[in-house]
Amino acid sequence: MGEIVLQAKNISKHFPGVLANDHINFDLRKGEIHTLLGENGAGKTTLMNILDGIYYPDEGEIYLNGKKVDIRSPFEATKNGIGMIHQHFMLVDTLTVLENVVLGLESQGFYLDKKNISEKIAEISKNYNLDINPYAKIWQLSVGEQQRVEIIKTLFRGVKILIMDEPTAVLTPQEADSLFKILRRMIKEDKSIIFISHKLDEVMKISDRITVLRKGKLVGTVDKKEINQKELAKMMVGREVLFRLDRNPIRRKGEVLKIEDLETHNDKGIKILKGVNFSIHGGEIFGLAGVSGNGQKELAEVIVGLRRAIAGKVYIKGEEVTNLCPKAITKEGTNYIPPDRLKVGLVPNLSTVENAILRRYDREPISRGIFLNYEEAAKYTRELIKQFNIMVPRENVPVKFLSGGNLQKLILAREIREEPALLIAVHPSRGLDVGATEFIRKKLLEERDQGVAILLISEDLEELLMISDRIGVIYEGEIVGMVDIDSANINEIGLMMAGVHKNPLLKGEENVKV
Amino acid sequence: MLKFEKRENIPLHLRILIPLISILLGVLIGGIAVMFSQVNPLTVYKAIFIGAFGSTYVFSETIVVAIPLLLISVGLILVFKMNYWNIGAYGQYIMGAIFSTYFALNSAETISRPILLMVMCIAGMVGGALWALIPAALKAYWKVNEVIATLLLNYIALYILQFLMYGPWRNPRSFGFPLTKIFDLNAQLPKLISHTRIHLGLIFGIIAAIIIWIIIKKTKFGYEIRVIGENEIAARYAGINIAKNIILAMVISGGLAGLAGMAQISGIIHMLQIEINPDYGYTAIIVAWLSGLNSLTAMIVSFFLGGLFAGASQIQMTMKVPIGIVGLIESSILFFLLGGAILTNYKLNYKGRKII
Repeated sequence: MGEIVLQAKNISKHFPGVLANDHINFDLRKGEIHTLLGENGAGKTTLMNILDGIYYPDEGEIYLNGKKVDIRSPFEATKNGIGMIHQHFMLVDTLTVLENVVLGLESQGFYLDKKNISEKIAEISKNYNLDINPYAKIWQLSVGEQQRVEIIKTLFRGVKILIMDEPTAVLTPQEADSLFKILRRMIKEDKSIIFISHKLDEVMKISDRITVLRKGKLVGTVDKKEINQKELAKMMVGREVLFRLDRNPIRRKGEVLKIEDLETHNDKGIKILKGVNFSIHGGEIFGLAGVSGNGQKELAEVIVGLRRAIAGKVYIKGEEVTNLCPKAITKEGTNYIPPDRLKVGLVPNLSTVENAILRRYDREPISRGIFLNYEEAAKYTRELIKQFNIMVPRENVPVKFLSGGNLQKLILAREIREEPALLIAVHPSRGLDVGATEFIRKKLLEERDQGVAILLISEDLEELLMISDRIGVIYEGEIVGMVDIDSANINEIGLMMAGVHKNPLLKGEENVKV
Repeated sequence: MLKFEKRENIPLHLRILIPLISILLGVLIGGIAVMFSQVNPLTVYKAIFIGAFGSTYVFSETIVVAIPLLLISVGLILVFKMNYWNIGAYGQYIMGAIFSTYFALNSAETISRPILLMVMCIAGMVGGALWALIPAALKAYWKVNEVIATLLLNYIALYILQFLMYGPWRNPRSFGFPLTKIFDLNAQLPKLISHTRIHLGLIFGIIAAIIIWIIIKKTKFGYEIRVIGENEIAARYAGINIAKNIILAMVISGGLAGLAGMAQISGIIHMLQIEINPDYGYTAIIVAWLSGLNSLTAMIVSFFLGGLFAGASQIQMTMKVPIGIVGLIESSILFFLLGGAILTNYKLNYKGRKII
């Protein structure tokens, strides 16, 4: 392995109320993939944002090739040969690849020498097997391709050190594999890569060395060859982690949700659901897999009444509820854990109490005539907090100050306490740490055993395989396949998610044994 | 680089210091303007203060100005809580004055004073509420932008008033001036304190402030309003009827602006004319904002802004400074107060170091 190219010594960074990085040491060698592993809120992204000049550390020093540097902006970081690819891509949708690549480059004069640049892009693309057309518009590209454009951007700028913040979060398993190939190709060219992740299996697959952070502190740096997944999990969480959840055998009850030829538009007015059919029975978890943007979010919104169906029907317990208002659909026994906690599920500036009663403020005993009975509301909230072990500083603190895991527990508690017949959970564990994720999944399984029908929409295949009874795959607004959990195969599902492989035999409901 | 960061909580000393410093800065800039008109700014400010709080009479005039500001601002607070920007209190105030004047001019003399006044109050509230209902319904059912709708309706209300005053309602014995006849005593709001112009409207204002506070803090209606205002998507998710809430809140807000218009003509002017101070409808927006959308705080803020206006109008009469200068002092103080409000909600960093 090569010499040390980058070294961060004693880095500390405070944010209001948290010490995001507490005297962290980190080094990177030439030609290695060094993974930064940790739960959400461990301080991984903060540390990388410091290396990229987005934040300035309160304490500590950074050395590049043994020389002390002072990086005050991403622009200066690029000049020093450091480039970062963020979770949310920094690309302009309506511009071409070429235009995005040159955006912000200092060396460009008034006239853009497209021919020269496109040749250079083509050369990079060929060298690293990136397969990108410089004249394609960004919006025409898949997420995986957009990520490769980001890689081209950094290579074009002559970056030697590449930081990637959870790059696989938006990819199918196949796309992730091809990304790993590109990364391996890059380290052969003596580039160095810092890879941020909290997925243990891919960390074991790609890394040379692994540095683990926990709650802003350095736990340690280890060689991949000297550690296994289980020990790594323990380092990350600070305790033993269950990799399997015990599941009771399924006791399927009557049909609760039935969807027939459902169609709807997305926010841009484009048809995003093109005739979806499936049904869910009480006591089963139906997992819907798919790469984000294939209609799963809109599907959930149509069922709960937040989006209008343009064709097709939704039945709950045999009653048609298509396009009823959200309140009426909730009354039919549907509850919803939305994908975006603070944007949809909660009111960030209101207190825990005021958020906890969102579903029942107009029912006795919290409702008292035209008034709200705040004592009853607080009592009910304390029940939820106790029952679901939610960490709340004080009941009247705005919920925006709660951690992601506690926010999700609050929503889950509120929705489950309504005793729904149908529970729709969209990305219920996204962005949560291992402990909270485990808790949420266990609760979903408990509800299933109680006879609730659960529609679980997730981009996390492991999660789907872990708790679903049946998995459907959605691609471009259609269910392209459906498999029973016992016969589910991760590769097959991955291919269906990418739209490569259809499973016509299992399309629709008729072929699934009940 | 200067950077703003949102504060997690606002320390008490800043809550007091920032407005105080803002007022001082406003006074300073206003003072520079005063120097250009060859008057000593210190004398001017002293005169404003004495003109606002210096004697029982001027003190009462401060309260007279505070009454409409309070009535309108507490109504605005209700809709502002919902993120609905009612800029139309000006027009709602005028319509309240017009509706109540109709009963003042056309009621039989045999009707007793309390009943006539009650009818006028209700008429004023209905007038303001109807005028507010138009933009509310446009927003609730067709998503028409309320800022533009309420603002434009202000002009329409003003022209209706002008039409009435130059046309059917002009008193034939007013020598051509656009005035109605002076209201009968039965149509005048009683004074609360003799030898002043403080009228029953003060009680209305205080009651309204308390009721609005109770609505916002204690009722389901207030809870729904806060949920809508803070996160409309979550409100839809919870099944809250947004259209119903917009309409109800606007009816209340417009009704209070209309009541303010009624109180002004019935309690102070005692007739309808073209100049009935509808600008209070705009100033009340500032009151609502400065009081942090708390209707109890609005009582204090209305009083202080009332003092500023009452005092300023005094120096206009006594010190022979141009009218423009008076307006300039008022607006520079308001400007700094509103600007300073940013610092209560955000902290300022320079190159990573905290400034305030």
